[in-house]
Amino acid sequence: MGYPHKPHARETPVLSQYFGDSDARTLDGWRTRGGYAAFERSLGMAPADIVSVVKDSGLRGRGGAGFPTGVKWSFMKPGDGKPHYLCCNADESEPGTFKDREIMRWTPHALVEGCAIGAHAIGAETAYIYIRGEFTEPIARMEAAIKEAYAAGILGKNAMGSGKTVNVWVHRGAGAYICGEETALMNSLEGRRGNPRIKPPFPAVAGVFGQPTTINNVETLVAVPPILNNGADWYKKFSRSDNPKSTGTKLYSVCGNIARPGNYEVPMGFPFKDFLYDLCGGPLPGRKFRAIIPGGISVPIQTVSEAEASLMDYEGFVAQGTMLGSGGVIVVDDAQNLVKFIARAARFFAHESCAQCTQCREGTAWTTKILERIAAGEGTTEDLDTLLEIADNMTGKTICVLSDSCATPVVSGLKKFRSDFESLIKKKTHHLVPAVA
Amino acid sequence: MSIREMGGVEAPADTSHGRHGEPHQPVFVGTRKQELDELLTRYPSKMAALLPALWMVQHDRGWVSEDAMAEVAGLLDLTPAYVKGVVTFYTMYHQHPVGTYFVQVCTTSPCQVCGAEEVVEAFLRHTGCQELGVTSPDDKFTVIEVECLGACGFATPVMVNEDFIESVTPEGVAELLSRYK
Amino acid sequence: MTSPSAQTVNLTIEGRPVSVPAGTSILEAAKAAGVLIPHYCYHPGLPVAGVCRMCLVDVEKAPKLAPACATSVAEGQVVRVHTEKALVARQGVLEMLLINHPLDCPICDQAGECELQDYTYQEGRAEGRYREPKRFNPVEDFGGDVIYVANRCILCTRCVRFMDDVVHHPILNVSERGDRAVIGKFEGEDMTHPWAGNVIELCPVGALLSKDALNKARAWELDRAASVCPNCSQGCNVMMEARDNTIVRMRPRPNEEVNKYFMCDHGRLNYRWLNRRDRVDVPMVRQGATLAGCDWDRALAEAARIAAGKRVFVLASPMLSNEALFLLSEIVRRSGGAGAFRVATGPESPLAGVEDLALRADRAANVKGAELLGFVRRERPLEGLGAGDVLLVADEELVGEDASGAAKAGATIVVGTTLPFWARHTAAVVLPIANMSEEEGTFTNIRGRVQRYTQVKAAPGFARPSWFVVADLMTALGGTPITGGLPSDVFAALSAARPEFAGMSYDGLGMRGAMIAGAMAEASA
Repeated sequence: MGYPHKPHARETPVLSQYFGDSDARTLDGWRTRGGYAAFERSLGMAPADIVSVVKDSGLRGRGGAGFPTGVKWSFMKPGDGKPHYLCCNADESEPGTFKDREIMRWTPHALVEGCAIGAHAIGAETAYIYIRGEFTEPIARMEAAIKEAYAAGILGKNAMGSGKTVNVWVHRGAGAYICGEETALMNSLEGRRGNPRIKPPFPAVAGVFGQPTTINNVETLVAVPPILNNGADWYKKFSRSDNPKSTGTKLYSVCGNIARPGNYEVPMGFPFKDFLYDLCGGPLPGRKFRAIIPGGISVPIQTVSEAEASLMDYEGFVAQGTMLGSGGVIVVDDAQNLVKFIARAARFFAHESCAQCTQCREGTAWTTKILERIAAGEGTTEDLDTLLEIADNMTGKTICVLSDSCATPVVSGLKKFRSDFESLIKKKTHHLVPAVA
Repeated sequence: MSIREMGGVEAPADTSHGRHGEPHQPVFVGTRKQELDELLTRYPSKMAALLPALWMVQHDRGWVSEDAMAEVAGLLDLTPAYVKGVVTFYTMYHQHPVGTYFVQVCTTSPCQVCGAEEVVEAFLRHTGCQELGVTSPDDKFTVIEVECLGACGFATPVMVNEDFIESVTPEGVAELLSRYK
Repeated sequence: MTSPSAQTVNLTIEGRPVSVPAGTSILEAAKAAGVLIPHYCYHPGLPVAGVCRMCLVDVEKAPKLAPACATSVAEGQVVRVHTEKALVARQGVLEMLLINHPLDCPICDQAGECELQDYTYQEGRAEGRYREPKRFNPVEDFGGDVIYVANRCILCTRCVRFMDDVVHHPILNVSERGDRAVIGKFEGEDMTHPWAGNVIELCPVGALLSKDALNKARAWELDRAASVCPNCSQGCNVMMEARDNTIVRMRPRPNEEVNKYFMCDHGRLNYRWLNRRDRVDVPMVRQGATLAGCDWDRALAEAARIAAGKRVFVLASPMLSNEALFLLSEIVRRSGGAGAFRVATGPESPLAGVEDLALRADRAANVKGAELLGFVRRERPLEGLGAGDVLLVADEELVGEDASGAAKAGATIVVGTTLPFWARHTAAVVLPIANMSEEEGTFTNIRGRVQRYTQVKAAPGFARPSWFVVADLMTALGGTPITGGLPSDVFAALSAARPEFAGMSYDGLGMRGAMIAGAMAEASA
């Protein structure tokens, strides 16, 4: 069983090894568990060598996009005379995802260390950890750890006696899902509205404060110290033999209608069926799984059979019509109104749209209104066609993918669970006089 | 575990002042000003200190008034209108005074399927707020629905000011509230 | 075909080959190719936002539609604007822009010149599918001349970017987010900046409107003419717009060299003097204590009789055209007289984000022209008036001690749009002229740019264009007549006579103007 339970025998706790172990939170405790050895070693390495180890390990971004971390780091040109920045994306806001929260709550020094190594590797003197405003405890944990690290000379002007400057600071968000999008995060960090930026320029060219910047997810950065400690080959072993593209262990957050919700860490390629029934305990008593979202609410909804056939890595989920995303597994059982669930997801996106792009600003709200009307028994069959057309207008046409994310559960829901919508429409008792737009 | 127990960020000590229309007392004086100055050393631009500065205002005053926005604007070489544009973007900044205890109940899809709506109802009933966003008659509570709090496996997570409480059930609401009377 | 250089990129847009400098956006390249890509948030005078998503175009080999405003051209690129895919995307944007729009075109000032109307008519869906309640926000007075009708706003943020990046006075913001977002401001910080009114034209829809022009006319009722703002020496290019022979609005007309896309509020709102109703509309000659109306021949003959053999002192308005001032200077030259002018002044207000653009201290259009044509600028312009001189007052008013100074003159001739109070008892001849909105001509701006303005409304009664009247007067006083009967003929005489204007032709000025000889040398030095 994964946290908040004891690790299940089939888990591979690398990042989650010390979840629940409050001693690991302190600097002393972290050091006795091997902490900061990787950072110390990395300070003696050329940044390019660190980057190549991370490249070799096959580590890919754990925030959702799955971009190879070492390749991303290699975009930062050394010696360009500009200040470089590392941003750690701890704005974990994707519904269904709560893994970074546990990392920061239990092993804050792991993240400090990951940030410090990352900063050194990309030639940055400063790393900002952007934590969503609601995460009061993780913020306090991170700040306490950073304070300890400065006091011990691990961070600061002469990090671990290396003569190098490594600063790590916490920056608190204030309630905006979109700030998890990397360019929005940079804007927010600069003291602006969290509006995503048009790319190009990409962050590695002009990121935060207009300078070359790398943005990595919390889970990505905490995976770096174990990789440096154990080597790239060790990390690569956590994969299925027929898919070397996804390597390492992955933390999954599991929530919704399932027996044992929580965080679980398994190697890439783990069978999703075993994961759901064995590790997470299957459905609640007397219920059946109805729909499963494996990677946060932005990825396509799976049917139970699709989920059961999935292997848990980037390619495995794509093969079953969805994506690994952030690893936030949301389970909906047969006692739920799936349309209401999707309507609520749309409302989330309507609430969080930054308001820049037309399709997103208007489309998320429109989609929500239609879905809520259908859920309330006031829908028509034409509404379903309209929903799909709106979703098409919202896909692939905006600055960022929030708009696409809102369309995804609608499209996949209508494709795979159309009868849920239709039964609500048939039950309709009276018809609203349509207003003409 | 709550922030309060850890000696972390406290609930505003005094929300009796700073209602709409009352004269503004500057926030950034004495140690607050020093804290802000210290913070400015972390960033290459003054503007980057905007979100932290607004947090300081809200911590001290319980909300961010227009006067406070103007004060922050002056300190960071911004215009009040710019600051207001930022404040209104981020949902955690209160643009109006709220109850002593600001209760946020997550109702996004994963929590919704676990019964978050009943938790909301329980809060509205037990606090006397009756309606979302409306402060209770005794000025103690304001209850809102909040979008995903990032603790979906611990449905239903609830924030009371800076306290983060996991796995709240409708049945547990009364007991929970008794801690904030 | 020239070979592609490092600076030039060749591409095809809607089948039309076009070469543009590297770094040009597809949208601007399309303009160069004569293709309009529909857009809202893009404006050439503002930083790119890329938010309206209206300018999505099909770029060959690209998987997704590209925003033309935010995509740079590439060598060999093939861009298509009117494919099914791009059309559907734009229809989607238009539909979404309209779902919460009140569709109140019949009572909207923007109707007829609204880009939301235009593009919807051009390629939008015939009907919307939105059946939910519409969002509502109240109308807000933004201060200055600006009113904000939030319900019509499409959040293109042109106004916000203008105040931020061009005015450098960020007092507008986007407030809230999602579909609750509106353009906001801060209580007590109004749109009173001298350049704030430009947001009215920048707004592509009827969300930001001029309070001054509110409900005065439908766009299609307006007579429009390309003109030059007469209210300071900057010479911003404008459109003058009149309804029923009354100017109701002045708006900036783009000129990269002078005012880009902007004009100041002082200029914009100062048009009422062009609509004065107390005009002189008939030539007059003195008959005892009164001035009596007469025909032009009689008035000109009387003027010639008075001025015969006398020194003529001309007090000219710096609001007169180069043509009128040139002819006046000829009268001065022939009679051995002198010419002077004075200028009303006020504080200078630059537009921070645009080089060399300001509301100038000199609040008159042709100060430079008057100087070039030999008129002397004086605080007390009648200082040079000799006893017994004929005082020719050209479209100027005299107040205070100047009026008493005029008593030195042997006789006074008034060439004007109105009859100054002092002149009722002293003027011997009054010759009515058109004001600048009723005639055409040229002004020379503060930097020496000679620019044409054209006529937007009719002059009252028997009033004639100023150049026409002064030409007749000059001929009556014995000068060589100007051949031909057009302002261009006067300009040709001017350019032949004056080295600064040498080589210029009226047609050659076009609607963008040209620099005088000295200024050209200055600029290239």
